[in-house]
Amino acid sequence: MSEVQRKKYSDKEKNHIFDQEFMPHIDSMYNFAYRLTFDEDDAKDLVQDTYLKAYRFINSFEQGTNAKAWLFRILKNSFINDYRKKSKQPAKVDYQEVETYYNSDDVDYSGTTDLRVDAVKDMLGDEISNALNSLAVDFRTVIILCDLEGFTYEEMAKILDIPIGTVRSRLHRARNLLKEKLRSYAQNMGYNTDEEE
Amino acid sequence: MDKNLSSAGERKVNCAEQQKCFQLLESILDGENIPESDKILKEKLEKCDPCYRYFHLEMAIKELLKTKCCQQITPQDLFENIRKKVQEVK
Ligand SMILES: [Zn+2]
Repeated sequence: MSEVQRKKYSDKEKNHIFDQEFMPHIDSMYNFAYRLTFDEDDAKDLVQDTYLKAYRFINSFEQGTNAKAWLFRILKNSFINDYRKKSKQPAKVDYQEVETYYNSDDVDYSGTTDLRVDAVKDMLGDEISNALNSLAVDFRTVIILCDLEGFTYEEMAKILDIPIGTVRSRLHRARNLLKEKLRSYAQNMGYNTDEEE
Repeated sequence: MDKNLSSAGERKVNCAEQQKCFQLLESILDGENIPESDKILKEKLEKCDPCYRYFHLEMAIKELLKTKCCQQITPQDLFENIRKKVQEVK
């Protein structure tokens, strides 16, 4: 942890913070961990490690600030440092995707996808989950943080250690990729994506 | 204001500032603090077809993610294991 130590908590205070502010986020943490690792045991280890680190570095947590964002940041860092390499299912990275998007500063705002709202509304849980899971980890992460967990751009910038501008562009790219996946599902469902209503 | 457009209920087919508009719409959907967002939103959606389509599609996808994305069930022993480990390091 690089944060400055603000104050020392007593044992009683530590336990209180841990129980009242950290533990309630365990479900969100596990979901995030699972969507990063795609493995139940790895996800459990990752969450457990995160909580142990959170306890050990609890003095660098400022009470009253966003505990969930603080925990997510530790989890994300643990994933990058400890798990990304040994992950059993090395995130299905589509290198073509990553390269195309990372090597250009231009974000595509042409937005003329022919995916239709009706088609999206008819999608099944499995389809949206699979589409999300098929994205490269950095893109998947911003969608999880924003759309599933409801973090603000500013919180995401802190969790991911990137500028807000990068949060925005990465999110937009992630959504474009997700739309492409959903578009192919829609085609399989028999929606005629090419025709205007 | 342009009465013809709004009263006829017709929207512009092309958006003059698509990138700026889409970024703004995305931020509004994501709940970012945008000054006068209601007013901006109303105006864009009433007057501009690309903005209208973009907004509704993004909203549908966001809703889909939020409501249908399969949630993993947290293993029952995880909570207890964490408590135990933390007791050990205390
Ligand atoms: Zn527009």
